[in-house]
Amino acid sequence: MRRLSVVAGATTVASLAFAACLPFGAAPPPLRAEARPASSVPADPFADSEARARTSLDSAPPGHGPAVLVQHATVMTATGKRYAPGFVLMEGGTIAAVGEGDGPAPKEGTVVVDARGRFVTPGIIDPHSHMGVYPVPDTSGHDDGNELTDPITAGLRAEHSFWPQDPAIERAVAGGVTTIGVLPGSGNLIGGRGIVMHLVPQRGARAMRFPGAPEIIKMACGENPKRVYREQKRAPTTRMGNLRAVREAFLHAQKYARDWEDWTRKQRQPAPPAEADKKHDKGDDKQPDRDLALETLALVMRGDILVEWHCYQADDMLAALQIADEFGFKVRAFHHALEAYKIRDVLAARGVGVVTWDDWWGYKMEAYDGIPENLALVTEAGGRAIVHSDSPIAIQLLNQSAGKALGAGRAAGVKLEDDDALKWLTANPAWALGIDDQVGTLEPGKRADVVVWSENPFSVYARAELVYIDGQTVFDRAHVGAPWSDFELGVRGMPAKQEAK
Amino acid sequence: MNRVQAIAFFFAASVVTLLSSAADAEDAQPIAITHARVYVPGDHPPLEDATVVLSGSKVLAVGVGLAIPPNARTIDARGKVVTAGFIDVGTDVGVVEIDLEASTNDAAVRSPMTPGLRMIDGYNPRSAVIPITRAGGITSVVVAPVRGLLGGQSAFVDLAGDTVAEALVRPSLAQNAHVDEEGVQAAGGTRGSLWLMLREALEDARFFATHKAQYDANGVRPLSLHRAGLEALGPVVRGEQPLVVWAERASDIEAALRLADELKLKLVIEGAGEGWMMAEEIARHKVPVVIDPIEDLPSRFDRLHARSDNAALLARAGVRVVISTLSGGLADSNLVSHQTRLLWQRAGNAVRLGMDHEEAIRAVTEAPADAFGLKGYGRLEKGAVGNVVVWSGDPLQAGTRVEHVFIRGKEESLETRQSLLLQRYRTLPFTHDGSR
Repeated sequence: MRRLSVVAGATTVASLAFAACLPFGAAPPPLRAEARPASSVPADPFADSEARARTSLDSAPPGHGPAVLVQHATVMTATGKRYAPGFVLMEGGTIAAVGEGDGPAPKEGTVVVDARGRFVTPGIIDPHSHMGVYPVPDTSGHDDGNELTDPITAGLRAEHSFWPQDPAIERAVAGGVTTIGVLPGSGNLIGGRGIVMHLVPQRGARAMRFPGAPEIIKMACGENPKRVYREQKRAPTTRMGNLRAVREAFLHAQKYARDWEDWTRKQRQPAPPAEADKKHDKGDDKQPDRDLALETLALVMRGDILVEWHCYQADDMLAALQIADEFGFKVRAFHHALEAYKIRDVLAARGVGVVTWDDWWGYKMEAYDGIPENLALVTEAGGRAIVHSDSPIAIQLLNQSAGKALGAGRAAGVKLEDDDALKWLTANPAWALGIDDQVGTLEPGKRADVVVWSENPFSVYARAELVYIDGQTVFDRAHVGAPWSDFELGVRGMPAKQEAK
Repeated sequence: MNRVQAIAFFFAASVVTLLSSAADAEDAQPIAITHARVYVPGDHPPLEDATVVLSGSKVLAVGVGLAIPPNARTIDARGKVVTAGFIDVGTDVGVVEIDLEASTNDAAVRSPMTPGLRMIDGYNPRSAVIPITRAGGITSVVVAPVRGLLGGQSAFVDLAGDTVAEALVRPSLAQNAHVDEEGVQAAGGTRGSLWLMLREALEDARFFATHKAQYDANGVRPLSLHRAGLEALGPVVRGEQPLVVWAERASDIEAALRLADELKLKLVIEGAGEGWMMAEEIARHKVPVVIDPIEDLPSRFDRLHARSDNAALLARAGVRVVISTLSGGLADSNLVSHQTRLLWQRAGNAVRLGMDHEEAIRAVTEAPADAFGLKGYGRLEKGAVGNVVVWSGDPLQAGTRVEHVFIRGKEESLETRQSLLLQRYRTLPFTHDGSR
């Protein structure tokens, strides 16, 4: 009996949906060989499991609430346009209109927000967070970010470690953050898949997945993997050991992809039924075994999974790009990338994003050459610069990070508009995570992920007053309710005696 | 002990050098910083269009409409802001070059009981971190042990000088204890074992102080510490030297207050994630609290009640709040590693989170000086140490630049290893001398 379930699924929507109902490994309804149409083996052997990974048991149907019209604000769009005073109209979860003046006369039922003196921006997107996988409080029970048992763990998904009750999440939203890329830690060379999350409270990780976001993978070069495995007295213990292991992993993945392609092509060749059965009986077209890690890497080489590569030093980044060339995949962005400024011409020419802090440096050898002008210099060179946090504290202050980097850049003589710095926080990270068609700017048709700030967001005194995700209020500083996290029930919100004074 | 005595005590050989360089400074040209907004001590608004005159190593005068000495170098600071140099009392500046390179890290002591340890012994005045910190408007720091139940003696240094003797102000400023979760793990694994060890050490030190002769003649019962430790704790148990206790949980803060009452210790609380819950008790004990205002997370079980307005709530209850980047203790070490230079941002965030702006500036100038008895520091007034910073605007705001830094009246270069890297890579392809 043939087992078709591994590659069940098909080119039509209807049969894909049917296939997606099958639990992996379960035998499908028996098919007689002669009745099997060639197309029942899908052209893409990996599509089914990828699709299955996006279905959620607990996602609520999106509700959009009333339309919201934010008026009289300085509206910063991250498209180069700024409206002062301007308006943003959110309807049905998306941005309906944005522009100069008061906006259209509000329809009945529209919530009108008078944002005089306030600033409005797209929601901040942090492409490098470990919230949920390294949640607070720091406990051994929730220490789920680094699977330090093998340097190549490409088959892992950060989603499967993500604790949606992490109390840090709500505080990040209060800092104006609406979307994050959650990544496994950097102890492994290939740590596993990350997941793009929309920061709305849900009971499970899957339901928080940003709709339609592509898959992302976390890789790491440099000190961390070799330090971790040196302590374990196994490879890699050197930079050359790091890169050998990565190249070997991709070599295996190349073979894996080829095996599946060959098998799929053979299965899809129309052949006389009798002959097909005979061939099958001889067992010479045995279905390849599935391997989660190799499958992920095959998808990386196909361009279906975006590579987010932790790399600090310029020379490490150049070496990483050569491996990407060797195996024909693209690096979407280098993360941390403290020395990106040294090779900003190369990174800009190749369209590789630079995801970094504004001014962290010096905590390890590969971080010794960090300078506060990094983001500005990359921008000046035409590269895509992006601010990230990598920290549940820093994620609350990303707007300040952009403000500091803007100041450092201008002091160095780099010509920067406020909008450039806003792009570091919204449009560019949206691109790094492959969701720039949906969020990152204030433009009609995009998801209504919007922040109203008390003042210019690059000020250290600026506070997010209102935060919307898909047009719904997720944070209102004037009405902070019960904590999102079950963990904080009975803890947070305890009144301070001094507040009465 | 004044500064010169302190140096004489530990660095007798270098006193002559120091005194002669001080004499040189007296001959130097006075400096007048004019037309600035100047933050002055006490509960006063800043002076507008004011002048600060530095002469030798000191502040000669601060005020509006002052006569400028005829031979003075004048810095027109119209539209700019002048403050006393910022002081961070919880740093590892000068004792850590690169955290993860053990060979360059003299902050992380592995033994829990090292009260005799002096951080000054690891201080490297040539550290690349020092100019970078100074370029952030910080002119003096307390270099403190980052862990240990009794981790040793912090040092107070000015961020100037090519030798330790030149940088040093107080070689033994305070004793540092950690009674947070990390301290508990280092001290037998329970709070009971921690307080037992701490109390025993302090009581033994008291006993030792009155039985030194017998001790040296091997005529006393066994004590829990070695001689150097017992000796070092002397000023602590006499209530002369502050005991800085890192405590997060409200009940741990309560225990520290109780111990200080009982043994008549001069206490400073650090960390204090749940400090706001004990604000009235802390205020009543007149104990200063050193906090990092951006640490608002329930990052450990001993700070589950952490909240973002901790600094504001403590200040409102009348507690003397000192703001620091606090190198020790918390897990998110990348935020503090080499980032003492961002003390201004910590203070700015305290303002964002509800603290008064002038109080936040005092929390990085006067308050740390008062909490640790650093006479002449943190205050712009006649006779103060000439540690002065000229800022391009609001010192607590992103984008403001530090334009001049004076330490003991002498202008310091703002060149750093980072500014040299910028220079080298400002244009590509780079040339090794930074030229095209």
